[in-house]
Amino acid sequence: MGAAFDTIAFKASLCDGCGDCMTTCAEVKQGASRIDIVPGATENAFELAICRQCGDPKCAMVCPSGALAKDGGSGVIGWDSDKCVDCLLCTAGCAFGGIAVDPSVARVAKCDQCGGDPACVKSCPTGALEFRKAGSLYREYGDKEDLFVPGLSGCLGCNSELIMRHAMRKIGRNAVLATPPGCIPGMGSVGYNGKTGTKVPVFHPLLTNTASMLAGIRRYYDKIGRKDIVVMALAGDGGTADCGFHAVSGAAERGEKILYICVDNEGYMNTGMQRSGTTPYGSWTSTTPVGEHMKGKTQDAKNLPMIMAAHKCRYVATASTGYMEDLYDKLDRAIEASFEGFAYLHIYSPCPTGWRIPSNKVIDACRMSVETNFVTLWEYTPATGIRFTRSPDNALPITAYVKMIGKYRHLSQEQLDHIQAKVDEQVALLRIMAAESPPPPPAHRPPAPLSAPAGSDSSQPSLRREISRN
Amino acid sequence: MNKILHTAKTIVCDGNEAAAWGACLSRPDMVAVYPITPQSSLVEYLAKFIAEGKMSADLMDVEGEHSVLSVLHGACLAGARTYSATSAQGLAYMFEPYFRTPGLRLPMVVSLVTRDAVSPTCVWGGQQDAMTVKEVGWIHMYCETQQEILDTIPIAYKVAEHPDVMLPVNVNHDGNYLSYGVARVELPDQAVVDSFLGEKNVNWHACLDPERPMAVDPLTGGAGGVGPATFVRYRKGQCSGMQTALQVIEDAHADWGKRTGRHWSPLIEEYRMDDAEVALVTIGSMTGAAKDAVDEARLDGHKVGIVKIKTFRPFPIQRIAKALSKVRAIGVVDRAVNFGWNCGPVFQEVLGALYHLPVRIPAMSFIGGLAGADITVEHFTQAIDRTNRLAAGEMATLPVWLNEND
Repeated sequence: MGAAFDTIAFKASLCDGCGDCMTTCAEVKQGASRIDIVPGATENAFELAICRQCGDPKCAMVCPSGALAKDGGSGVIGWDSDKCVDCLLCTAGCAFGGIAVDPSVARVAKCDQCGGDPACVKSCPTGALEFRKAGSLYREYGDKEDLFVPGLSGCLGCNSELIMRHAMRKIGRNAVLATPPGCIPGMGSVGYNGKTGTKVPVFHPLLTNTASMLAGIRRYYDKIGRKDIVVMALAGDGGTADCGFHAVSGAAERGEKILYICVDNEGYMNTGMQRSGTTPYGSWTSTTPVGEHMKGKTQDAKNLPMIMAAHKCRYVATASTGYMEDLYDKLDRAIEASFEGFAYLHIYSPCPTGWRIPSNKVIDACRMSVETNFVTLWEYTPATGIRFTRSPDNALPITAYVKMIGKYRHLSQEQLDHIQAKVDEQVALLRIMAAESPPPPPAHRPPAPLSAPAGSDSSQPSLRREISRN
Repeated sequence: MNKILHTAKTIVCDGNEAAAWGACLSRPDMVAVYPITPQSSLVEYLAKFIAEGKMSADLMDVEGEHSVLSVLHGACLAGARTYSATSAQGLAYMFEPYFRTPGLRLPMVVSLVTRDAVSPTCVWGGQQDAMTVKEVGWIHMYCETQQEILDTIPIAYKVAEHPDVMLPVNVNHDGNYLSYGVARVELPDQAVVDSFLGEKNVNWHACLDPERPMAVDPLTGGAGGVGPATFVRYRKGQCSGMQTALQVIEDAHADWGKRTGRHWSPLIEEYRMDDAEVALVTIGSMTGAAKDAVDEARLDGHKVGIVKIKTFRPFPIQRIAKALSKVRAIGVVDRAVNFGWNCGPVFQEVLGALYHLPVRIPAMSFIGGLAGADITVEHFTQAIDRTNRLAAGEMATLPVWLNEND
């Protein structure tokens, strides 16, 4: 596999120019800040000057003493103070302002990513700075066996394939995989006419019984002592939230040891983009069309992950392919939890075809959905309750997201206001649930035994007597 | 003389308990249940047996019959022997996975405690539920007595799991009359059942096991190429499994009879048919009253016999045609309705079998025992009388509703 590296990313739209990152860097590095927030082209706009840790570093190319070199492991351009002859040619070579003279010591200084845990990112109050670890993920999982056939026939830009391949690379071969009718088997994961599309045991459950079939599989393997198999679904929102919900809810209530991943593209996209219970208000779909008398869906989406949290599952989380690090962390926790109880992972996954998004804008749409709080990233365990894994603070107005998506093209101001109000309401409720940390467990006192009432016959009445009485 | 061999114990129980004992002795790995009248006490017995350690099966109390069959699909594909029971609305709710079971060639056994289906709202016996699903591809066997219920369940596993069959089996018993009716029942010794059934191997053909990775039930068909031909191969396989089952059912009953001393008629039972000029066709628990009525009619000099159907799917066409070939008129008594043909469903099946004969034998449809009604000896006497008149040349009418004026 090729090289890929983690990076500090900057979202200019979220930066308010507070300068906390620079203050923190200066403190940590005991000198001039290696990150610079500078005024942008317009008022209240800011830009970032920081070392990009270039793949083709011009600073290193112009250095006459070999003091600058890219590290093959971390990707960081390292500066060797012993070799440096203080010629400052590098400061002219870099077009990004990524290496500059620190006046306090009269030598160059540059970002070293604090060894993989950059202090500036942690100090940013608005989320404008992020440390993206996708590079590490790529290095870690790039060499793992891919468990699907090459050339799954998903639509261009669809993230389902990404979710499938990543999830199964992580989980490996000791798994049984259900892919209920929808885009995921539709793109060939179960295969056609006797040929399989994956290297693990895979099947189409009915659209309606995924969680139940998995429960039966898991129970039998547990019974015969094969407890290490991951029994899992890669399902869509329709089969999960609508017609298959009874099975999901029943399995969750019984605590069946299943990993249930719902890939939510907000509708029945495989059958031609019909509305589902998770289709958001206002969406155009082929069954909530836009015309003189109808302007898209008139109901709000049901929030399935919150419903699953109410089942007190062993683990519930939301995730987005725009935040792969977060998704990977949650996948790890969900897999682990699935050996103990019901683990539910809800991944929001735009449908470029059905939502009318250019295929190269899907990840942007994912990120914007989170930055506007249209999608919130959180996780739940019975012990911790709901916890945000990305702060919903400083969200952008919903318009920033909606305008990227063609299925909202027709929205009136009134409809937009409705969506914003519902998003705010949803986040407010989540905040209430997340802010209330659970009280410490009570000092353990076993409950009093259920003693039989004095003088009564403690034996159970026989079944036969019960029946004959009826 | 039928010497009873290897009986562990004799009990008095109703048909639901007999079914639970039949399941218990067959040692399923997984039992899934959801209660419904008149099946409920059956699943309570299963739960009790499991709670008491009589059965080592895992009990899955799931949220509805749709999931009952679905969890068992999963368990069976993982290698489990499975059992459940349902009735009427439960069967209707189960229909989606039920429809799929034979196509997956899953050798499951499910008892149907037969009942009339809503609407009109009714929770009592009838066979409308089981008769409505006769074309799905399950094997259907109807029991006449509590003992036959118990014995037929292990026989059903033997048939279902036969490598040339690999099809699901419904062992049906009448709601109310068998489910709650109490009789003396011999419990065979566990060792007898164990050696009768042998080693289970339920997922050699299709499994969900990381040690044998495969795609189970990939998309099949399409407009051309190998798809439709592949689909036809699967469908033909189901049909040939069904036809093979006719012999396997006979063999399994014979084997069971040898081991337990109880010889049940596997496909059809012929009662006083040797010299019969008129025949009734019956199915299920009604047959006892029919036999009494025939005995009485014989005392009056009427040469009447009975063909009782035990195996309704696959339909034993040749056996039935042969058994009925010598009579001059036939009365078929049903406990359900075929709305499309305005007759009983068994009647319509029998007509199809009769077409294999070179002669045309007049036949009439009688429908009785709906919604828990009793089909009495008097009702059968009425049916015999009407069939006698049919033999004498009176025109047939469709159908006679036996309980209409009770």
